This record gives sequence, structure tokens and C-alpha cells, in this order.
Amino acid sequence: MAQQHETTQQRPLPNPGWGPLSALPGNPLMWVLILSEMVVFAAFFGLFAWLRIGEREVFDASQQLLDPVAGGINTLVLLTSGLFAALAVQAITHGKVRRCRLWLGAAFALGVVFCVVKVMEYADKLSQGLMPETNTFFTFYYLLTGFHFAHVLFGLGLIALVAWRISHDNVETAAAFWHMVDLIWILLYPIIYLLR
Amino acid sequence: MPTRLATLPPATRRLLITWAVLMGLTLVTMFSAQLGGDARLQALPLWSAGLLLLSTAFKAHQVLMTYLGLRDASAAWRGAFIGLVLFTLLLVASGYLLAQLGG
Repeated sequence: MAQQHETTQQRPLPNPGWGPLSALPGNPLMWVLILSEMVVFAAFFGLFAWLRIGEREVFDASQQLLDPVAGGINTLVLLTSGLFAALAVQAITHGKVRRCRLWLGAAFALGVVFCVVKVMEYADKLSQGLMPETNTFFTFYYLLTGFHFAHVLFGLGLIALVAWRISHDNVETAAAFWHMVDLIWILLYPIIYLLR
Repeated sequence: MPTRLATLPPATRRLLITWAVLMGLTLVTMFSAQLGGDARLQALPLWSAGLLLLSTAFKAHQVLMTYLGLRDASAAWRGAFIGLVLFTLLLVASGYLLAQLGG
């Protein structure tokens, strides 16, 4: 007990004065956003899995029309972009502004690569006549990947903004948002593209 | 001027190891989904679907702990976020199993 008390004294709360959010690192409001986004996506993933029970043949046949390798490449691209965002936070923590901007630029560039691959994928699907109203699977495919894509675009805007108005808090907040985008894709990719 | 903080970002070595683990697990995920040849037309064997979901859970755990810095948060918050990821994957796994049993 005494040892635990000592440990608590040695490590001050990251955000004192934020009530239950005090124990979270980084911007507490970003954690509220991350949690709410995770709950929304969890609901959609659960609904997707539930609807698949009744329409397994339709879901499996539709999934065959997706490109899982492109999705996998995009996963690798986004994870690497996340690493660059984390390195940007580390650089700004050590006061290295120029290096931080370089890492942010690299994270941004890979984010653009993700968007290009995704747009090519959408164009391919639409050219095959696969629309959101084609069937339940494609409704969810466009809804979930489109919602995620919107987050990627917002994240890119955020990265560009903090690279311009650079400060530790700004970079840390933008990186946290970017990691959330990573996290959602990590869950989305196997559920939509791979599980059959 | 370096910033003084209650929590410091993870060291470069940890970030690189996490990144390598995430990349490796993504490849494991793709491998376990059996994307090559005729196997892609078949339903996944149970072990393969299980491996896929397990590696997804571990990847999410790594992003939360290292990239998002949740390892510096309280045990309650760590439990809440990891619990939500596990609950999500459990929902998906239950739906998947029910669909396999029904088909």
C-alpha cells in the first residue's frame, strides 16, 4: 500500500483538474472524441456482423468483389503514417521543430497515398456498377469506409494545420486523432475485407 | 526548448518495435485470410478466422498502449478502452460463428 502511494506521488496526473479524464495522457477532449468514435464504429461493426447472419451468401459473394490486397497495402501505409506522427510528437517534445515538421510531412504524404488507393478502389467498384444500394454488404462497405475516409481527410487537414501552427499540444492532439484513424482502420479492414 | 510534461512520448526504439510488430501482424492477418487462389472463394477455417481476430485485437492493443500513450493512463481507462475493443471483436466473432452455424 505504502509502495503504491509512493508510486502515485512520483507520477503526477497528466491532466490535473479534468476529473476522471485527469489520468489520460494528452488532450482530454481528444479522448472523449476517440471513445465516442470507437463506440459508433463498434455499433456499426456489430450491426454488420448481425446482418451477415441472415444474408451470409450475399455478404460472402460481395466480399469477393473487394480487393483485400489493396486494403492490406492501405493498412501498412496508414500504420507507417502513424509511426511518423508518433515520431513528430517525440521531436516536438525535444524541441526539434524542423524535424517535427518533416515527420508531419511524411505522415501527411502517406495519408495522401491512402486516399489515392481508396479513391482508385471506389472508382473500380463504381465502374462495375457496385453502388451503396446494390445490397446490404455494399451499403455497409460504402458507409463504413466512407465515414473512415472522411476522418482521414479531416486528419490530413489537422496535420497540415498543426505543421503550420506548431506547438507541442497541437502536434500531440493531431497525432492522437491520426492514431484513432489508424485504430478504426485496423478493426475495419479484417471485418469488411477478410472475414468470410 | 524541450517541453516539460507529466508523461513523455515513447522512445524511438519502442515506437519502431511497435511499428514492426504492427506490420508483421498485418501480414499475418492477410496470410491467415488465405487470399491466394481458390482458397479465397471458400469460407475461412475456424483457426484462420480466430487468428485473424486475435491479431486484430493485439494490433488495436498496441496502437492504444504505445501510439496513443494509454500505458500512462490509469488501469481503469486502460481497461475501458481495451474492453471496448474486445467487446467489438466479440460481437463480430459471435455474428461470424452464428452465420457459419446457420449456413
